[in-house]
Amino acid sequence: MLIRNRFQLLMLAVTFLFGLYAIYYGQSEINAQRQTIQAVQNLEQEEFSSYQASFTEEMETLEQEQTHDIASRPAYAWYRHGYHAILPPHDYAALAIGQRDLFRYYYRLTGMSLHYQLFENELANPVNLMVGNFDLSFVLVYLFPLLIIAFCYGLFSSEKENGTLPLLMMQPVSLRRIILVRFLFYFGLITGLALLLSLIGLITSGNPLKAENLIPALAWLLGVLVYCAFWFGLLFLIISFCQSSALNAITAVGCWLLLLIVIPAVLNVIVTVKYPLSSATLAGLTRRTGLENEDDEEESREVIQEFLTHKPELAGSDSLMKNNLLPKAYAAFTSLKDINSQQQVDQYNAQVAQRNAWTSRFHWLSPAVNMQEVLAHIAETDVSTFLRFQAALASFHGEITDFYFTRLFWDKLILQEDYASLPVFEMPKSDDRWNMVWLGLGKIFLAAGGAFTFGFINMKGGARQ
Amino acid sequence: MITSPMNITILIARKEIKVAMREKLVVVLGCIILLLLGVALYAGYLAYQQQQTIITQIQAEKRQEWLKQGDKHPHIAAHYGTFVFKPKTMLSLFDFGLDAYTGTSKYLEAHHPHEFMFRPAQDHSSMIRFGELSAALVLRILVPLLIIFLAFAAFTRERESGTLKLLVAQGVSFATLTWGKILAYVTLLVTMLLPFLLGIVMLSLVNTHQDTIPDVVTRATLLAFVYGVYLFLFIAFSVWVSLRSSTGRNALLILLSGWIFLGVLMSKTVANLSENFYALPSMREFKAAIEQDKVSGLDGKTPRSVRMATLEKEYLEKYEVDSVQQLPFNFEGVSMQAGEEYGNAIYDYHQEKLRGIFHQQNRLGSLVSLLNPIIAVQHLSLALSGTDMHTFIHFEEQAEDYRRELVRKMNADMAENSQYGEFYGYKAGGDLWQQMEDFSYQTPTALQLLQYYRLEVVSLLLWTVLALVLIHYTHRKAKPLHA
Repeated sequence: MLIRNRFQLLMLAVTFLFGLYAIYYGQSEINAQRQTIQAVQNLEQEEFSSYQASFTEEMETLEQEQTHDIASRPAYAWYRHGYHAILPPHDYAALAIGQRDLFRYYYRLTGMSLHYQLFENELANPVNLMVGNFDLSFVLVYLFPLLIIAFCYGLFSSEKENGTLPLLMMQPVSLRRIILVRFLFYFGLITGLALLLSLIGLITSGNPLKAENLIPALAWLLGVLVYCAFWFGLLFLIISFCQSSALNAITAVGCWLLLLIVIPAVLNVIVTVKYPLSSATLAGLTRRTGLENEDDEEESREVIQEFLTHKPELAGSDSLMKNNLLPKAYAAFTSLKDINSQQQVDQYNAQVAQRNAWTSRFHWLSPAVNMQEVLAHIAETDVSTFLRFQAALASFHGEITDFYFTRLFWDKLILQEDYASLPVFEMPKSDDRWNMVWLGLGKIFLAAGGAFTFGFINMKGGARQ
Repeated sequence: MITSPMNITILIARKEIKVAMREKLVVVLGCIILLLLGVALYAGYLAYQQQQTIITQIQAEKRQEWLKQGDKHPHIAAHYGTFVFKPKTMLSLFDFGLDAYTGTSKYLEAHHPHEFMFRPAQDHSSMIRFGELSAALVLRILVPLLIIFLAFAAFTRERESGTLKLLVAQGVSFATLTWGKILAYVTLLVTMLLPFLLGIVMLSLVNTHQDTIPDVVTRATLLAFVYGVYLFLFIAFSVWVSLRSSTGRNALLILLSGWIFLGVLMSKTVANLSENFYALPSMREFKAAIEQDKVSGLDGKTPRSVRMATLEKEYLEKYEVDSVQQLPFNFEGVSMQAGEEYGNAIYDYHQEKLRGIFHQQNRLGSLVSLLNPIIAVQHLSLALSGTDMHTFIHFEEQAEDYRRELVRKMNADMAENSQYGEFYGYKAGGDLWQQMEDFSYQTPTALQLLQYYRLEVVSLLLWTVLALVLIHYTHRKAKPLHA
């Protein structure tokens, strides 16, 4: 018994250390992302402060004059001025990195065709993307169930095998009660460890008392509690069949394998085959095309006319077809390209959403998948956050083109005071994020309750044989 | 009755198989695994076909766009450029590998070597990170569970029921017993997996003519061999652990924890550690460094204007003329190509640095594979299926070479046929576009690839030797009596 306890203590300690490493790893990844964000923001600030400075500086060199041209003439500015749209990590993204390593979290947008700028990936090692992140959510979702299995699989059978069962049977309390008390003890111990790790993670990643962190932190802790309860419930159910230790262990590990590897892997392969989709079809949108002949003014006018049917408010200046014809034609050209290819992009996004919807219908099959999804939602690192971000990029790009095109097509200069009202990226809030979290937690809770109740009833019949 | 050890081995094996078949859970587990293997292969085949159809179709579309782009200046054509798409390999239906995480398409354009775009994993929900069901996953992770369950009690059952003593008393040696049991499990697994093995071999034979892999048969054979060794190792170690354990429960615990630690935890930990050791730059930094070098030169002190002036001077002296207009060809074409080549050199320099980091990160995994045969098998499996990092890099290089050839052809045509300073005066047509052959891709052969995987091969060898030595050594030491 002592040896076994030592082994169990060792397992607890190892899991705890793994947890600490996971927290450290997640934070170092997210900090690297924060640094990148800081760096690109600095670049943007440098760019725009040099523009603003050019309004007040004495023009001495050719270079200064060029900068002032870019700063004040929309004919240059519309495709030179770059704005960063950034999806900053939530404080708790470090605990559940989710899809943040796979999707881009910053874009530099100019008035040029949106689709030129949208599809470039962030650099990443594909091997590491495939393997996935060793973050706290991984430790909680994958490792804690194993710990629970290791502690609980022999709670009843080992008594039988060691010959101590008759001793226990002689006690005035029922066997089910004894097993329940032991379960409760281990539940307290292991869930306590999970909560402790979570608290360490939550506190070191961001102040949980801040308004935007409080509900996520509580939801996280509640999630840990419910998820541990599910696995204890499942183990209780397995034990209630009163089989040998070996059979219990193999069944429990089999369940773990089923819920964490087999079910998601099968669902993934089904969704791949059921909704065949290749983003490669969008590749053509990134092609950089131009006017047939830049010297042909007639062609430029036609392109501008066509564009103005979509944006009639830009027409009306007397000098519309005289000044800056070529820049206007190019602005019109890339915008038309976007308008024409938008349908294709929408169709693609709809298909991704369809896949998403299909898989989420089967989340209940595996509380582990459900839990991972819940944690990613809490930390805002799930796919839907990134889809929302991409939708927001499109509208931000619209603001940028509006800002420059009204000046370009009305032949106005960009003034120094205009720099106070530059377009600013804003990420819209999601309304249904918390619905998903509560619903997901509810499903896990139901599964936990179901397993436990079934085990409780089953044990009544099987305990005294 | 006098029987040779060989016959006894077979007798023991037959008995062992009978015992195993009596276990309901073994049969159920075996059936589930067979079913999953079937689903994995079938779905893998469908996915392969679907992706291949899409990619062949788009590639043909882009080729037509290139050929039918009409008359235009060659440099504009080089800017419009074209696209290449990464084809799926036939064997990717066995092991999807990195396919979901490497890009699928690349835009080939003058001046800018673009990176690969679109990782297929981005078309999925977050669940994709749990992995996709492939035949390789079943063989690597699920079949070992079956083996553990078959073999954990191989000796402990006999020990606990006292039959071990009887057998030894009859003069059956430990070696015969051990090999008998190993033979039993190998026979069971081979019977179970043979239909699938044949299926894969047939599929690969049927489809060889149209695939990107030149040596499908060699690769399929090697794959079968690697997984064969792997499963044998697993059986041998499971039987050995059973031999050394006092109770079945202990054997099971040791085997299960070893399997989870080696199979699930270790690869993830190593990959994540490598990320901490060797940090990647962000795309923005990567591009900014390239741009910086283009502006001020690789050495940091020869800006573009200086480079162009040197080139011009060189040509004027060589052809003994006073101005570039007097040259017998359009100097713009020459300077364009010189700029292109300088840009390529800069790109190569930065790309090499980046790949160096990837290489260092993945090298850690290779080193660890010496300790962990599951990682070794995984790496070899990816390589043989053509879904590993080195095949991807090879593809990337071929695509980049194609881009450079395309731009070079366009610039050469421009130098030869157009006049200095008349950008819209000259138009090339279908003949020139036709001169650029369509892009086609063949992976390196298995043997070429395996050179990157020496450590993994060594690891498998070492582990096999270790298994044999352990079994051999334990025979002599093992005591038949219950401890």
